[in-house]
Amino acid sequence: MPRIYFKTADQYVEFAEGEEVNVLRMAIREDIDVPWQCASGNCGTDRLVVEEGAENLDPPRRRERARLGELVDEGYRLACQTYTRGDVTFSWDPDQVGLDDEPGDGGGSRTGWAGTG
Amino acid sequence: MAELMSSSEFRVALEQAFSGTMAKDASFSRAWATGKLHKQHFVHWATNHYHYIGPFGDYLGLMYANTPDHARDAKDFLLQNMYEEELSDDRHTDLLIRFAEACGGTREYVQDRNNAMPFAKGMQGWMYYVSGRENFVVSSAALIVGLESQVPSIYRTQYPTLINKYGFSEWEAEFFDLHITSDEIHGERGYQIVLKYADTPELQQRCLHYVREAADMRFAYTKALYETYVQPDLGPWVEEGEREPALVG
Ligand code: FES
Repeated sequence: MPRIYFKTADQYVEFAEGEEVNVLRMAIREDIDVPWQCASGNCGTDRLVVEEGAENLDPPRRRERARLGELVDEGYRLACQTYTRGDVTFSWDPDQVGLDDEPGDGGGSRTGWAGTG
Repeated sequence: MAELMSSSEFRVALEQAFSGTMAKDASFSRAWATGKLHKQHFVHWATNHYHYIGPFGDYLGLMYANTPDHARDAKDFLLQNMYEEELSDDRHTDLLIRFAEACGGTREYVQDRNNAMPFAKGMQGWMYYVSGRENFVVSSAALIVGLESQVPSIYRTQYPTLINKYGFSEWEAEFFDLHITSDEIHGERGYQIVLKYADTPELQQRCLHYVREAADMRFAYTKALYETYVQPDLGPWVEEGEREPALVG
């Protein structure tokens, strides 16, 4: 089974062979603390460094390219905009905020928004 | 008498409840994905879609009012979803109208309720009914799991076709790109609400019933789009490879 390894949280999610899955959706489903806010490519809170498996990801579309700019060339992807069809490893700064927010100004993430309890 | 399912069993049951009648498999969606539609067909699609999803903020507002205070996370989710539909970025219905205009339609035409099929008005009425009258868990199952969570699977097939086959720019087709990803997350959060708060066998069964009904409604609506607007131009839908072999000679 292919797996997404969320290295910073040291957790992984497996999915069925032949499927393409949204990275942020899988993190939310498994309550993995990937920071995020808007889920629509606006804020950049969920930028992740692709450490391995970039070849399994779909190419960035307009919104993601516009939001990340040159960070795309540095190996970043937005979890909410990215689909994978195979093994991939991501890391991130657990304290990161949106690209337009200052650390500590309340623009933080929504991790753990609604646990299934 | 049904028993209470575990969270994972219930999730599988919800997924199975709409898997047989997914709108991506309806004739209009298939004609779209295989590049058969004309721009005028898209104007009709956008017009009907506007009257089906245009009041989504209203539906969510009714659900919000029906959600008890103790389910604070569910209330917050509905509010967030409403904000994202209307205010966080371009208004979603404006993106839909942008697409219709790229196809030769006008804002006035799209917004005129007289240009929508009875099926679209029926879909709208059904959504007002469910969101206004049902328990918030059941309406979340119907509208968010049954309908909104299907959107990425539909648009992920249709969006590349719009760009590569029909020649739209990414800007013109932004409505679809936005929903591919935002509805993944809305759908997943909808699942979390339903899995958490459908805590009796009766509620679970009622959720499953409405997910099936939602999928049937959307499938019938999508099929009607083909029969109303496309069939007069292209004839009844026949899947590639299922056509009668042409007679030789
Ligand atoms: S969560 Fe805002 S860009 Fe992905």
